[in-house]
Amino acid sequence: MAHLTNPLATPSQLYNHTSFSSLPADLREVVFITTQCLTQAAGLLLELPQSVTAQANVILARYWLIDSPMAHEFSVANSESPSQDVSAAALYLVAKVGPMPRSTRDVSNVYAYLLSPKSSLFRVPREGKPEEDPKAYYQTESDYFAFQSRLLALEARILYCLSFNTHVSLPHALAITYLQTLDFLSQPKSTISHRVTQYLNTALLSPQMLYLTHQPHALATAAIYNAARDLGAKMPETEWWEVFDVDREDLGFLVVGMRSVEGILTSRREEMPWVGEGMTTRTLVEREMQKRGLQAENGETKQLDKEEEAMRMLDSR
Amino acid sequence: MSSNPRSRWANAQEDEAVEAERKRQKEERRQRKAAKARKAEEEEEARRKKHSLGSTEDRPTKRQRRTPEPDLPPAKPLRFEVEGWNKSRSVEHYDKLNDIEEGTYGWVARATELATGKVVALKRLKLEAGDRSGLPVTGLREIQILRDCKHRNIVSMDEVVVGDNVSRLDNSIFLVLEFVEHDLKGILDDMPEPFLSSEVKQLLLQLTSGVAYLHNHWILHRDLKTSNILLNNRGQLKIADFGMARYVGDPPPKLTSLVVTLWYRSPELLLGTKTYGSAVDMWSVGCIFGELLTREPLLQGKNEVDQISKIFELCGVPTEDSWPGFRRLPNARSLRLPRSAQTTGSVIRARFPNLTSAGASLLNDLLALDPERRPSASEMLQHEYFHQDPKPKPESLFPTFPSKAGQEKRRRHEPNAPARGQAAASLGEVDLGGLFQRREREERGAGFSLRMV
Repeated sequence: MAHLTNPLATPSQLYNHTSFSSLPADLREVVFITTQCLTQAAGLLLELPQSVTAQANVILARYWLIDSPMAHEFSVANSESPSQDVSAAALYLVAKVGPMPRSTRDVSNVYAYLLSPKSSLFRVPREGKPEEDPKAYYQTESDYFAFQSRLLALEARILYCLSFNTHVSLPHALAITYLQTLDFLSQPKSTISHRVTQYLNTALLSPQMLYLTHQPHALATAAIYNAARDLGAKMPETEWWEVFDVDREDLGFLVVGMRSVEGILTSRREEMPWVGEGMTTRTLVEREMQKRGLQAENGETKQLDKEEEAMRMLDSR
Repeated sequence: MSSNPRSRWANAQEDEAVEAERKRQKEERRQRKAAKARKAEEEEEARRKKHSLGSTEDRPTKRQRRTPEPDLPPAKPLRFEVEGWNKSRSVEHYDKLNDIEEGTYGWVARATELATGKVVALKRLKLEAGDRSGLPVTGLREIQILRDCKHRNIVSMDEVVVGDNVSRLDNSIFLVLEFVEHDLKGILDDMPEPFLSSEVKQLLLQLTSGVAYLHNHWILHRDLKTSNILLNNRGQLKIADFGMARYVGDPPPKLTSLVVTLWYRSPELLLGTKTYGSAVDMWSVGCIFGELLTREPLLQGKNEVDQISKIFELCGVPTEDSWPGFRRLPNARSLRLPRSAQTTGSVIRARFPNLTSAGASLLNDLLALDPERRPSASEMLQHEYFHQDPKPKPESLFPTFPSKAGQEKRRRHEPNAPARGQAAASLGEVDLGGLFQRREREERGAGFSLRMV
């Protein structure tokens, strides 16, 4: 069964995550979504298959349930982006364990490009061809070396926080299998499977962390439900999801969760216009916090004991 | 208000009337419902009868809407037992007893868990010094695969623990493994008499069921050899060391051909194939089978060329018949092979005169040059060799062996598993034309045929 199941977050982990974070919920959502998008973009530029990138998304989300996004990387000096390093480390790690390893050099270049002011990530495309300016994302040898060191340290940190369990099973293949058992009258299978895949990939970005709370079979079923609804496909009139071992309550939660991702990002963009102007960086988050009169402290200070405090001092040295 | 003795909340006459009316309606509704349910039940009963008579014509063409399902028991969806994740524990939860070995795959020690007193083996994840690519992928794969495997013939892993300095994990990641007293190599080296055939059968049976489990779970071990096979004092065999193992898919991915310790490496790997499957493990199982019988590794080549010639000496030279398409393998193009009838047959039967014919045929199948012809582990479990007398000796009747892992370090005299990242050796221009000269001379000189073919 190991191929079909994932480890799931415990209720107390989810509770601690939301109640002890130093970031307000909306900022946390922004950091989460933009980082997951960054991982996706980097996966594309590194020519990694979506199966690898999606696993990196899940690993990253699991890691952030243990270490707050503010706790670790923000304390690393000279790292401008809160999420760049951890996104890169998750992607590097998953690619390495899987069939398509990528070199630290490639990863470094891709992230340098994506975070440069010239990248089109999170920017509204302007008229005409984007101007080429390699200087904007050129990395000196020492930049690269520093990035590599942070990457490798974070890789070990991620593994340590996940007790070295890098297993991720994705719902995509399962969804295709489920689709084959269902007959979508009046809808070509490719249309519906395309929409299902879109829902599953979008769910990776959800700050509700659907991949950490539900097993792949439930995600697959909910994506099929949503896709069928969108396309007006004729579905069985019974409680067909029970055949796939999903109960009504879980299905409802996931259906709503999957549909809300786009709305979350759009409304955050409206509230904080800087979200639409490039990758969310540490400076941007801190500026926003100041604007609201909040302290951008290292997260989780309330629940840290002395031992961990000492550990953090060692880390920052 | 005080002049009125009755509380304004007390039941008035009309209240009572309303109450009676409500009761009547309720009763009526209940009866109607009961009648409806009875009717439905009767209909259901009638339909069931009809169905049992084989009539299907009145089944509704369209499924009825039954979203609120009153008469079905609530569905019981399958639920999985899942674990979560959290930070690794510290190695300080264990107390080291003694070193077991410091070898190719790093440092292994015997230790007890302080909280429970359980004896375990601690294996340090070996890191390459100055490696700027992070934690070794082989180690990470080993952890992942061991975590996923639960089988009595595969060594189990409890957890991964780390050293105290969490910010620098460089050399302090330990796998907490089940402690097993012996390895098969050590036992074979030390035992004065070879295993009885019932014992060989039991060991092979356990090895094969472990390998079958791995292959059924899409795992190739890629380094099966007697020093990686452990045996406890209760006669249980455990496959260990998954440093070379990996998950594969179907169709098989492109893999490195530089795997498996030389003496256990299959001919297709030696000839440089990039697409191989579980058959490489089955070849190793064949080599181990031979080793269990004689206490000596079956094919001890000095290098790749020597290894492939030893294989051809034992199993015969491949032909297009015995191994279709072998000429297309990268290292086979420049291979010059002797071409005569007596060099193509296998001499396995002659090499193991004490083996039953079922045993010999099994060994012959396992050591088939063509990977397609080797049995799968699940097929092998059905082989008549395991059903014939002598029956596999029960585990509980296995002899115990003086423990080495408890006290001293193990010694090894055998080639190591290939290191990751090395270039696969090309065999180069190899002339194996003289391979069977000795055999030819023997036969010619004596004037009668030796018991070789």
